[in-house]
Amino acid sequence: MIKKILLSFPQGVAGKPMAMELIKTYNLDFNILKASIDDNIKGTLLLEIMGEEADINAGIIFLRQNRIGVQDILSGVDVDEEECVDCGACTAVCTVNALEMDENWKLVHHKDKCLECMLCVKACPTRAIHALI
Amino acid sequence: MAKTYQEINEKIARGEAVVVTAEEVIDIVKARGIKDAADYVDVVTTATFGPMCSSGAFINFGHSDPPIRMAEISLNDVEAYGGLAAVDTYLGATQPSKDRGVEYGGAHVIHDLIAGKEVHLVAKSQGTDCYPRKSIDTWITLEDLNEAYLFNPRNIYQNYNAAINTSSQRLYTYMGILQPNMGNITYSTSGELSPLLNDPLLKTIGMGTKIFIGGAQGYVSWMGTQFNTACPRDDKGYPTTPGATLALIGNMKEMNPKYIRGAIYEKYGTSMFVGVGIPIPILNEEMMAFVSVENKDLYTNVIDYSVQRKAKPSLKKVSYAELRSGSVDINGKVIKTSPLSSLKMAREIAAELNHWIKKGEFHLQEPILSFPMGNALKGLEINEGGLR
Repeated sequence: MIKKILLSFPQGVAGKPMAMELIKTYNLDFNILKASIDDNIKGTLLLEIMGEEADINAGIIFLRQNRIGVQDILSGVDVDEEECVDCGACTAVCTVNALEMDENWKLVHHKDKCLECMLCVKACPTRAIHALI
Repeated sequence: MAKTYQEINEKIARGEAVVVTAEEVIDIVKARGIKDAADYVDVVTTATFGPMCSSGAFINFGHSDPPIRMAEISLNDVEAYGGLAAVDTYLGATQPSKDRGVEYGGAHVIHDLIAGKEVHLVAKSQGTDCYPRKSIDTWITLEDLNEAYLFNPRNIYQNYNAAINTSSQRLYTYMGILQPNMGNITYSTSGELSPLLNDPLLKTIGMGTKIFIGGAQGYVSWMGTQFNTACPRDDKGYPTTPGATLALIGNMKEMNPKYIRGAIYEKYGTSMFVGVGIPIPILNEEMMAFVSVENKDLYTNVIDYSVQRKAKPSLKKVSYAELRSGSVDINGKVIKTSPLSSLKMAREIAAELNHWIKKGEFHLQEPILSFPMGNALKGLEINEGGLR
């Protein structure tokens, strides 16, 4: 099983070698897709984790017990349908067609296709696309 | 049989007018033929919802006590023109704010006013005997204003270029983000639903034509700036390059914020999405033939925006059916195409206008002045030493 998760490390937790624990104790593999730490020493880590479903679930429980926020992520962005006018400007930059127009020219967001390039955030004229990571 | 504006308006008043959108009319003409369809259909509604930079609002604030002759004016930190009478101003859609830059500009202030939000007005003055106040700092809403109307000098281009980028650098343009090495093509039109493409020779659209603008009933007030009716056309008269434009007017107090939206083009600036609908009376078979046009018969040029000159080369002439298909082949390379104007919103507007006419809430206004054909564009010469 492969799962994409966004970890948020509160102040004081960032810096602990949590990822190591996931490999050793829970037998999980992962790709680090994005990592950052902000001015307030809060960290975020976007991981693609691979392993048995039970191991993944146990690993997530372990992270949460250590005050680390765990959020399932499919796409790096969220489209606010109230703000979107279905113009299509974002589809111009989405090379993997995670954002595309349907047959009625309404924007559809195939979250599983997103590669987190984040270019659509800048391309959206109504700023309806928000970065999650 | 030919119809007059008056006859069509009488049918509208009786609730008997046959009103269809410019997309729906295509199949009607295919089924009935031009002659029969021209008898059957009375009005065809057209619409567009795209970014239109040359837009803005005239506003009158009313007088404070003591009164002020406003010279430096800002609304939500967006500068408005202070060169009119004491409490009149013009707020341009593309004016960036002093605090947030292009992320919030004149278009956003206009949207916020229409949405009924409070807007921060700050103005300064030198003070005069008749207008002694030197500064004002207050909050206003659309309701508080004497007048607030959009007056857009150039809207709804008849046709427009599609854009491509042959350079190795990503370009940030008013045609959206253009990927390097011909990575994508963008275009901005509602094509067969577009107002001025359904009346290519402006037979029914002129000064005084009543329109849908931003959810209100407004008017065509003049020919738009950069009005080009001397543009290249196909054998039926449809422009194949940017052609006519219109200056539009409408009361903001009657508008719906859904149809007027701020737009931001990264590293370019602020613009404004304007929703416009125009009814086309089917006066005769000629008009019926014009409105039956399809995307496959409407053409534009794919222009290379990496050439930083006024004249940019065209890589290919393509139809709007090809652009709508999702990709265009240029020299053997299949290139993704994306729209910049919302066809979904344009369809909503055409349907809304259709609804107004069928309910008898909107009547046709015959133009009081037709616009000139053969009007060509001038460039701007740089005459450094003066003209003498």
